[in-house]
Amino acid sequence: MDLGLQGKKAILVGAARGIGYAVAEILAREGCDIALTARSEDSVKDAVAELGKYGTKVVGKPANAKNADEYKAWFEWAIEELEGVDIMIPFTSAGGGMGSEKYWHNAFEVDLMGAVRAVEAVVPTMTEQQRGSIVLIGTTSILEAMGGPQAYNALKASIATYGKQLALHHGKDGIRVNVVSPGPIEFEGGNWDMIKGTMEKFYNAQVRQQPMGRLGRPEEVAKAITFLASDAASWCNGSHLVVDGGYTNRTHF
Amino acid sequence: MKKHVMGWDPAAMDALRVVDVPRVDPETTGNGTPVEKAPDPELGTDIIPAARYYSPEFMAMEWEKVWTKTWLLGGRSDDLKEAGDYICTEIGKESVLIVRQVDGSVRCFPNVCLHRGNRLRPEGRGNAEKFQCMYHHWTYGLDGKLEHIPDLCTFLQGGPPGMSAQPLPCVEWNSFVWFSLNPDVEPFDDFIDPLKQHLEPYHPERMAWKRDITVEWDCNWKTSVDAFNETYHVQGIHPQLKWYLDDINVQIDCYGKHNRYLIPFAAISPRVHMPSQIPPAIYEIMVNAGMDPAEYEGRVSDIRVDVQKFKREHGPAQGKDYSELNDDQLTDDYHYMIFPNVAVNVHSDDIMLFRQRPHATDPNKMYYDIWMFELVPEGEEWPERVKHKRFKHGDKSIGQVLDQDAFNLPTVQTGMQSEYFPGLWIGDQEQRIRHFHKVLDDYIYGPGQKTADDL
Repeated sequence: MDLGLQGKKAILVGAARGIGYAVAEILAREGCDIALTARSEDSVKDAVAELGKYGTKVVGKPANAKNADEYKAWFEWAIEELEGVDIMIPFTSAGGGMGSEKYWHNAFEVDLMGAVRAVEAVVPTMTEQQRGSIVLIGTTSILEAMGGPQAYNALKASIATYGKQLALHHGKDGIRVNVVSPGPIEFEGGNWDMIKGTMEKFYNAQVRQQPMGRLGRPEEVAKAITFLASDAASWCNGSHLVVDGGYTNRTHF
Repeated sequence: MKKHVMGWDPAAMDALRVVDVPRVDPETTGNGTPVEKAPDPELGTDIIPAARYYSPEFMAMEWEKVWTKTWLLGGRSDDLKEAGDYICTEIGKESVLIVRQVDGSVRCFPNVCLHRGNRLRPEGRGNAEKFQCMYHHWTYGLDGKLEHIPDLCTFLQGGPPGMSAQPLPCVEWNSFVWFSLNPDVEPFDDFIDPLKQHLEPYHPERMAWKRDITVEWDCNWKTSVDAFNETYHVQGIHPQLKWYLDDINVQIDCYGKHNRYLIPFAAISPRVHMPSQIPPAIYEIMVNAGMDPAEYEGRVSDIRVDVQKFKREHGPAQGKDYSELNDDQLTDDYHYMIFPNVAVNVHSDDIMLFRQRPHATDPNKMYYDIWMFELVPEGEEWPERVKHKRFKHGDKSIGQVLDQDAFNLPTVQTGMQSEYFPGLWIGDQEQRIRHFHKVLDDYIYGPGQKTADDL
């Protein structure tokens, strides 16, 4: 199946590691030009250098989603560098945490506004082009109550609602918007890797809850995201795809 | 990139990253704890004979040349507040009483009645006006002098010589009490040199008892000493600590009888990837310092230095006087080994000390005393003295990290007795083990007198 990604232009936020980086790698391999960002300058540099081997144009600069002006300027720069944008995926997240009101502000600024500002930065260009694909990232933590009353779960939930609204609103302009909610994903240097090292019992309990007896890998989510981002998913709009190896119990009717 | 402080090649070690840890400039520490790397002693690469961990002969030599000769840690001064407060502590087959005198000084004498040899008091703490033997009521003053022998007129030879228990050397230093079974022991200041300058800036007298536990461990006392004298085992038995401390960028210093290492805490081991989220144990460090980890905008790799800055700035308002400590001491583990048997992790807000005592008769057993103290902020009430607990190896948890340490020791102790194990094959990350055994050799065989055939 041809994904139709050759020559496409993708903007990826928070793509220096984990799922974001795995998506960048597949897109680059499929022939996309890429502009990516993350908070750390070093990791952006490393990712750009590594992705260069696929021979497409790959550019990157650090940016912080919390800083609205800097973030907006980064998108202007990215669209200019790529001379357009066909695909935009914001992966950036402040992560979990409980016990401080600050976590709500962090989740609002990074998980929610990081996505909202990213969408608003690319929609004018996509509208002009009458073509574009946006994938927003949720989490299985919005589908079932887990991890305690956290800002992360609650604000990630708003992404699912927002994604659907966007899909209906921008469909007429050829812009598709879909949401992917991954379950726990493990990779070297990732959160679950650290949890395995620091809280082994909790980690093992998570693995026992997994129908396939393991956590997911970034590329397993990345392939699903890439499909929705690509023209191969031209009739997928406003969908919410759960990619969790069967981890969540609820039945999707 | 600066060279590793110990001269190792960090790129060749089993690590994922080469990390350059910011450290305090030795020129800036003034009268505080010195931080400059001490010259490495010439210790060779020989194996350390396994038999010294289980042979009764070596145990007997240790008793004769070490335990009855050197200074030993007895207890805490704040357990001896009032005249008559005493600590009764045991070492090998001996037991001593360390007693606060009416004039405020401390004295030490053997915990044994000169009449028929009965113990005057059981091990532990208490307050006494006098020490009366339960057997025939021979009565000793707080200073160990015999005050009363019932029916003295029936002892044709009179009372024992001097009518006194044998006075033993005893000093107080840095909130701890030290004693020696050797009446001719060297001056304490010579013994402890150079650690006064190292440890006094921590002001342990501002810290209160937090834990007081004795565990009978199924290993030789040196098996335990060795276990705490290297960080090489972190990657083996403490996987979770790789998200808490840097087990590779460790500075080792050997001084005369004693040694230390400095371990960066609130750091990520170069053996694992730098995480993007704050690890749970480092989160705790931040909370304990008074920081809100949710507010933290920096990178995980910057937390150590930022905690140092935060504590420096906010310590005084929290009633914590860090003025005599350098910045690294506000996060890091300065870990000292005081010969022969004290391992002490000193931190700005707490001290975790292990006293490792030999069993009286069995070289395959020991007593592992855990003494933990916590800084009492100025103006806060001094907490109640925790109760001493005592149990056997593996009976109860002593915390995740120490359980991990303890878990291995019995199998190390039995494995070392194999015909196929000549001795310990020690690497440079374990230099303190080598240094400790060299000091032990010098005590047992005389300085530099140990030969290849000796244990």
